[in-house]
Amino acid sequence: MIVVNYLASVTLLCIGLYAVLTKRNLLKIVMGLSLMESSTYLFLLSLAYRAGSTAPVLLGPPHGESPSALAHGDVADPVLQNICLTAIVIGVAVTGVFLAVTVRIVQHYRTLDADRVRELRG
Amino acid sequence: MRQRPERGALVEREPTHRRGVGALVVLALGVVLGLTVWHLPREHAPLSRVAREALVVALPGWHTLEPVNEVVYGTRGFDTFGETFLLLAAVVGIGLIARTREQRGEFLGEELAAAREQHAELASSDDAGPEVRARAAEAGEQGRGRGPATPDAEPLGRAWPERSRAMTVVVRAGVRVLAPLLTICGCYLFAWGYSPGGGFPGGAVLVGIVLLAYVSLGYRRVQRVIRPAPVEVAELLGALLVVAVELGGLIFKGSFSASFLPLGQVQTIPSGGVLQAFSASEVIEVATGLTLAIFGLLGMAHDWAPPAEHRDEGSSRAPEEGRAPS
Repeated sequence: MIVVNYLASVTLLCIGLYAVLTKRNLLKIVMGLSLMESSTYLFLLSLAYRAGSTAPVLLGPPHGESPSALAHGDVADPVLQNICLTAIVIGVAVTGVFLAVTVRIVQHYRTLDADRVRELRG
Repeated sequence: MRQRPERGALVEREPTHRRGVGALVVLALGVVLGLTVWHLPREHAPLSRVAREALVVALPGWHTLEPVNEVVYGTRGFDTFGETFLLLAAVVGIGLIARTREQRGEFLGEELAAAREQHAELASSDDAGPEVRARAAEAGEQGRGRGPATPDAEPLGRAWPERSRAMTVVVRAGVRVLAPLLTICGCYLFAWGYSPGGGFPGGAVLVGIVLLAYVSLGYRRVQRVIRPAPVEVAELLGALLVVAVELGGLIFKGSFSASFLPLGQVQTIPSGGVLQAFSASEVIEVATGLTLAIFGLLGMAHDWAPPAEHRDEGSSRAPEEGRAPS
């Protein structure tokens, strides 16, 4: 029932989005964005899963089989695992930028409350 | 003058923003996405053609037993190239945001840049006691205060607890044992690229070692190695190596990110050819990039200037009043 994983990742994404939309604490908004990123990792890895499959590694095939036979066998999706790897790196980088901006906002405005940061309001 | 809301006041309930509308939007999105994922292929669906192709081509085409690495550095090499520069852009962005106006040789110590003005400001303030104590504690944690030069110089078996700028001797000894093992682990992950691993996990492990050393031994012990200048140069060298490896394909094989290095024997370190070269450059890029990002963030100490309204209203209010409610 991998669809449970899909639904769990949708739920995670919704919790994260709810935090981004309704919280006023900038750190909690960044946490919400991180949660949304994490939900995509769960989603991609669940999408890569195949029932009864092994890892997409051609090392150590079962007795009497060649590694190339393993390539045609039942394995998890390597492309989606790779996309998840990409997503993780980008997620880390983006979270870092968000946090740096948050720290500077706090230093400048002396508040974490997003509603009080309104000097740009025209 | 317009009445300002009390900024430092304790808030009983956490301030939120249009919870009803937010819940409605999120619920609608959840329903739409839920219906969408319900119809996605599930665990019994056959693998996509791209995935099958990657699995089949990995061994004969790239001499690697690791299809994920083959996809990362081979088939989707151009995408990884873009991702590398996204990471570099983010690191440069953090560097720009975190950087102070003046040149500094170290990551931490932003607040030292204006130490003289800071002391003058504090001396003229009426209620500087808590501020002075907080700064002394902060300096002690960073190893700049009184006490021995390094946590290891502090004798064991005293009645009082060890200072907080480094962790206890148990953790320090543990990290000293673990760090070489973890370094080997991280290098193994990318060097033996035909087994699961690769540049990204390897780089992340190396960053983990730097952070372990920083957290357990204190900044002063990693200060000599973790300085902006060498780490930034290494980061850019990694990026240049990635460009060189990818351009090599264009020059020698006529297509960007094509495999131009000879493929070694299967299950040896040079087996993947260009995959391994890309992976090794990626280790440098990821390890130094994340180190720069993390230490850039850690170095953003609180600025010392009092808030603007205090300057306007004179020194009648205590400096703590305007601090951020967090």
